[in-house]
Amino acid sequence: MIKITELQKYYRTEEVETIALNKLSIEVKEGEFVAIMGPSGCGKSTLLNILGLLDDPDGGSYLFNNIEVADFNERKRADLRKHNIGFVFQSFNLIDELTVFENVELPLIYTGVPSSERVGRVEKVLDKMQIMHRRNHYPQQLSGGQQQRVAVARAVVNNPKLILADEPTGNLDSSNGNEVMELLTDLNEQGTTIIMVTHSEHDARYSHRIIRLLDGQTVMENIMI
Amino acid sequence: MIRNYIKTAIRSLSKNKGFTAINVLGLSLGLAACLLIVFYVSDELGYDTYNKNIDNIYRVNTDVRFGGNEASYAVAPAPTAAALKTDFPEIEQAARFRVKGGFKVKKGNQNIQEDMMVYADPNIFDVFTLPMIYGNKANALKEPHTVVITERTAEKYFNSTNVVGRTLTFDDNTPYKVTGVIKNIPHQSHFNFDFFVAMPGLDESKEDMWFSNNFQTYILLKKGADADKLNAKLSSFMRHRAGPQLQSILHLTFDDFEKGGNYYRLNLTPLKKIHLYSNKLSEIDANGNIRYVYIFSAIAIFILLIACVNFMNLSTARSTNRAREVGVRKVLGSPRKYLIAQFLTESVIVTLAAAVIGLVMAWLFLAHFNQIAGKELTVTPQILGWLVPVLFAMVIIIGALAGSYPALFLSGFNPIEVLKGKLAAGFKGGRLRSFLVVFQFAISIFLIIGTLVIYNQLKYIQNRDLGYNRDHILLVKNVSTLGSSSQVFKQEIKQLTGVQNATLTSALPTGGFQSSTSFFKSPVPDQKNGILPQRWPIDADYIPTMGMKIISGRNFSDQMPTDSNSVIINETAARMLAFSNPVGAKMYEPEDNKMTRLKEYHIIGVVKDFNFKSLRENITPMFLMLEPNDGTLSIRFRSANIPALLAQVKNKWAQLSPNQEINYSFMDKDFDSIYRAEQRVGSIFMIFTTLAIIIACLGLFGLAAYATEQRTKEIGIRKVLGASLSTIIGMLSADFVKLVIIAICIASPVAWWAMNKWLQDFAYRANIQWWIVALAGAGAILIAFITISFQSIKAALANPVKSLRSE
Ligand SMILES: Nc1ncnc2c1ncn2[C@@H]1O[C@H](COP(=O)(O)OP(=O)(O)OP(=O)(O)O)[C@@H](O)[C@H]1O
Ligand SMILES: [Mg+2]
Repeated sequence: MIKITELQKYYRTEEVETIALNKLSIEVKEGEFVAIMGPSGCGKSTLLNILGLLDDPDGGSYLFNNIEVADFNERKRADLRKHNIGFVFQSFNLIDELTVFENVELPLIYTGVPSSERVGRVEKVLDKMQIMHRRNHYPQQLSGGQQQRVAVARAVVNNPKLILADEPTGNLDSSNGNEVMELLTDLNEQGTTIIMVTHSEHDARYSHRIIRLLDGQTVMENIMI
Repeated sequence: MIRNYIKTAIRSLSKNKGFTAINVLGLSLGLAACLLIVFYVSDELGYDTYNKNIDNIYRVNTDVRFGGNEASYAVAPAPTAAALKTDFPEIEQAARFRVKGGFKVKKGNQNIQEDMMVYADPNIFDVFTLPMIYGNKANALKEPHTVVITERTAEKYFNSTNVVGRTLTFDDNTPYKVTGVIKNIPHQSHFNFDFFVAMPGLDESKEDMWFSNNFQTYILLKKGADADKLNAKLSSFMRHRAGPQLQSILHLTFDDFEKGGNYYRLNLTPLKKIHLYSNKLSEIDANGNIRYVYIFSAIAIFILLIACVNFMNLSTARSTNRAREVGVRKVLGSPRKYLIAQFLTESVIVTLAAAVIGLVMAWLFLAHFNQIAGKELTVTPQILGWLVPVLFAMVIIIGALAGSYPALFLSGFNPIEVLKGKLAAGFKGGRLRSFLVVFQFAISIFLIIGTLVIYNQLKYIQNRDLGYNRDHILLVKNVSTLGSSSQVFKQEIKQLTGVQNATLTSALPTGGFQSSTSFFKSPVPDQKNGILPQRWPIDADYIPTMGMKIISGRNFSDQMPTDSNSVIINETAARMLAFSNPVGAKMYEPEDNKMTRLKEYHIIGVVKDFNFKSLRENITPMFLMLEPNDGTLSIRFRSANIPALLAQVKNKWAQLSPNQEINYSFMDKDFDSIYRAEQRVGSIFMIFTTLAIIIACLGLFGLAAYATEQRTKEIGIRKVLGASLSTIIGMLSADFVKLVIIAICIASPVAWWAMNKWLQDFAYRANIQWWIVALAGAGAILIAFITISFQSIKAALANPVKSLRSE
């Protein structure tokens, strides 16, 4: 499903040039659950942003479903993204002014799903994430775990083939964290590909495979199963 | 401590250069606009104040209702002044002006047409403060054929000011002795003459005629006299003084005259109200209008308010970003009053900078503004004397007002909450800010509608069918200087190729020609049969040259000897006289002042109504007589080559009058000048509307920048979830556009009402159309949208990864 070869990314500030990704090559198959680990600043988030088509690489190739997307323009990337990829962030990134229901509904609005159909689909995922009773609450009225479940609900409501999660448990205590990991595992079992960045060996154990990064290069790949 | 505040303030201001620039620019533009209007208004309010006795000087007016006509004149009959002085001991002086038009004055062998000329009573210098530099003001104008001139006139004719005893030649042959030189009259005066000719030389001034109103009459009251009481007593003055003459003319007692629904009475206008409140017939010059003083003052206040609102809005908006700073300072132990002082210092510094820039801007714009407003405003040391302290006080007040809200608001926070970031959520709504934006735009929209209505009315005036055709008419205005050759001139001009027709008379629909006399339907004067029309002398070429239409009967003809006893009346007169068939009917005009003999006229035609006053007034009755008058030659031309035509006309002129400059203009230009006041108001409105909109948009720009900054995270999330560029721009603009729409709803009805009031001044008006309001509204939305777009497009294009990182 995903194949990157010799991917490069630099950040230039006035004086220094940081190499965030240094000729990185990775492949992820459909239905896999991959964890990415590595020390702070090694380029995990950068990689995830490129995989999620939020950012473009400075070199190398990126095949998404066998299509070269490295040179896609902003519009094409946005189009591919909204139909295929869901995101979960460490800091949840819910919109404070919108209710739980409205937050989850957003991706459907942007992909042009008619409103009659939206209600059913949102309610279904909220149900699945066991957050239905909170549908009219605002993000600040929820606990961290609940907020992240809303974020996961929002990531999956469009039935994406790929979910990208950047430290999804980073702001949660262990029991809430485990709940979220269970959710991701369930989704993976139903066929969604998941790529997750994490600092926690515990969480990494939920995955099939761990990719370890060091200064923008792969060090080792562990196959768990 | 103060130094510390100032240091911190300047640092914080320069850290946010964009906001500071918008703040200073908006406020200085507002102050500059406001200052220009202050200059304008103070100039208007200062008219005639150069007179030491301004509080005790009054002009005597005459109100008449007769023959179905009602009118109010700024003049009184010739004997009024003397009679008033005899009848009322509280009157210290009574003096008259008589404006009779200009003279040709000889300089070397050239004749110069001088129009700023007036006959004046010798005691005029006891009433008005017109300091005499040379000569004796007590007997300067006592002898006929003496004249008092202004300094600049003395310079013009003699290259010197000490010219008492020297002679000026008027109209080529009459010598006038200069008996006094006065200082130039300040431009803030309701009269501005350069020649004061001795009244004793004018026979008309000695006549005992109570039904001929031609003299501007002024009285100086004794100290402590009550003008209201005098005004009340004046109503019976005419009964007592003019009554006997009425009896001998109309064989009517004053009581019967009044019972017929007529009146004839005097009243007073205080000198200090002449310029701004008086708009009667026979004013010496077009006066100002208090309404415009109010309107412009209101605009000045509005613009200043808009600018202050910006300032407040941007300061509060920006201060949320500083909540963290405030929190930290408080945790570190800063007392609340220090924080308040800090914020106030910042806003006073900004206001001070804006005031200085605004003053410079106003000074730079002044020349241009003078041109548009038709003023001669200057910044004199006296003005600066009161302006600088006032400006300084304004800086403190505006600075304190604008700074107080953020100062009190922020300094009152609980530091823990601020640091936890709870503030940002609670403050985002910014209800006050929304209200202020609505307020600003409501004012802008009001001004836009006002401008559109004024321009629409001016366009309507331009395009209205006036009953004559003012295009392609050249006016040669000093034909009377040709004397007996004026007819020759007319005939020669008519021969020119490219000239269609020409008519010789100074009675023009675009000129100020006024002459009214009573006519009667029967040979015995009777008020029920009377009419008081305009009586204009014209020739047989007049109606075709002007492009007027005869709707029944015929035009005058040079072939008909009886036409000197004929009259052509306008439709309005025909209607008022209520003849079943006016053509062929007879009218009688008194031949002498006592109305003992009457001359019979036959109505030979009715001319379609044409506007001969400004469109502010309705058309009144008009009698056109075939009589010679050689003031102006009106030339209707065909040719498109105006310079060639002018050259030909000038050539003919030079042959007949080698020593005299030709004085010409075009009728359409003269027409436009009737509405110069409105045109000026339109231009001034336009300028200040533009300024108000620019200032409001500056504020909106700043607020939009702030709002998008506040929402960068949200925008990032939405983009990650797939929102398109247009969705995001739409979302960011919607909030502000909503406010502008509310502003439209508030401003439109108010503007509608106010501008309708303005239009009431016009007898002929273009009513306010819905499209004016729609255009103003759409314009405001468009402008607001474009302003916001600068920010929203930038935000929508930004890479979402960045905004999410900044978490
Ligand atoms: N916008 C940017 N400008 C400059 N340098 C950047 C930018 N974004 C990331 N970097 C640099 O690129 C490198 C990789 O950053 P990245 O955010 O991918 O690290 P990470 O592995 O996600 O770290 P963490 O575990 O702390 O989240 C870092 O050295 C970082 O300083
Ligand atoms: Mg990271």
